[in-house]
Amino acid sequence: MSQIFSRPLIGSVLAMTLGLGTACSHSIELAAPTDTIPSTNTIVATDARVPLLLETIRVTHNGSSVPPPAILERQILGAIEATRLFSQHYQSGYQQPEANQARVTVRLSIDNLVEPHAGQAAWRGFLVSASMFTLAPFISLNYDFGAQMSLEMERWDGQTKQYTATSNGSAHYNLFGANPEIIEQLKGQVTEACLSSLLNQVIQDSAFYLASHAQSQDHPIRTVSVGIRHSTPHAIPISQPIAGASPR
Amino acid sequence: MPFFLRIITAFVLGFLMTTTGVHAADVRPTITVGTQEVGLSAGYMLPHRLTQDHTTKQEGPAFMPSWMITITDPMGDSWYRGQVSVGAEMVYIQFQEPFLTHGLGFTPKIKYSFTALDRIRPYAEFAGGPFWTDLAGKIPEESSRFNFVLTAGFGVSYFLTDRAALNVGYRFHHISNAGTSYPNIGLNASLPFGGFSFFF
Repeated sequence: MSQIFSRPLIGSVLAMTLGLGTACSHSIELAAPTDTIPSTNTIVATDARVPLLLETIRVTHNGSSVPPPAILERQILGAIEATRLFSQHYQSGYQQPEANQARVTVRLSIDNLVEPHAGQAAWRGFLVSASMFTLAPFISLNYDFGAQMSLEMERWDGQTKQYTATSNGSAHYNLFGANPEIIEQLKGQVTEACLSSLLNQVIQDSAFYLASHAQSQDHPIRTVSVGIRHSTPHAIPISQPIAGASPR
Repeated sequence: MPFFLRIITAFVLGFLMTTTGVHAADVRPTITVGTQEVGLSAGYMLPHRLTQDHTTKQEGPAFMPSWMITITDPMGDSWYRGQVSVGAEMVYIQFQEPFLTHGLGFTPKIKYSFTALDRIRPYAEFAGGPFWTDLAGKIPEESSRFNFVLTAGFGVSYFLTDRAALNVGYRFHHISNAGTSYPNIGLNASLPFGGFSFFF
């Protein structure tokens, strides 16, 4: 007799566990990048590299200007630094390169498009709560985020190049899986994908940003591999000095 | 009633002691999608006899612990700018009149908070769910102990910090059994309340 009652009980407990587990789930999807340029690495002479000055970052949020968050500035500077295309990295408002020093000046514009599907979320949230939360595992909520970046890079001689990149992503989650970190992850991943796409284009033009140096007999040729560093940790290839040469 | 006041005072003092600090100028709560809220409200139920068939003057203190989750970012650009939260609330009512009896309910809840004023956030809320009470059967309005409670009301949250708020508000309470047994005239009441919330 006890077995007859225990089966529905066990079934109910399993169903609730499964339901709650499903209701806490979430996923993030990134749209395929719009540019088709393959990720490239190239070797450049260390001495030919010049400093970079990140002059301005302009950010808009659904068309309204917002101050760039400090974490975004660090993310951008970090991504540029990781390419190893430039010898030093300066940020406007902090220590500056010397006035007579050749440099590349960067101006970045980021247009963020946020579509939180607020009306849909409100309606679905009402349905979920009206169902005493039994529909929570079956009704998903969505949050879309897109970034369009426009990068202007000006060389020391006044020549400029423009680059653009676009990236989009969506977070899908259930009511109990809603979490501010999911939205932050989505924004971070979209921003990183867009930034990588942008810097990949810059790497294609590596030669444009290098100062030409006559190679002295006394100076060995030292080179560095430049390219996009993806978030997946991997070894960064750095070429070695020519054997037998003694660095100064 | 003195006991009820003591409970409220203890809650308020406990809340003030547990908040880390009150900063008058820089409180700008950032409630985003997924922000959760736990709160406790308490109030006193005052009866409304809306028809001649309503004779019972039920009254007593009510306690309402709640949990909510914000499901939208702020919507709109004008005075009505706000965001939606859903959640659930337990409601316990100790009916002191006409008989010392009890009521216990569980109500899913939806709330719209107006966010235009930063630390002062008015809100409107609606909740409904099953409600058990042993007052039913002892009064002419309700015959069944199993009932439903529907509440609609409004309130104001005053953020002491960006993660803690004091709430005061008013709710209209309706208790009936949805025609599952007769008589089912229903009980109506006003419920002014106060409480606090933590956001995380």
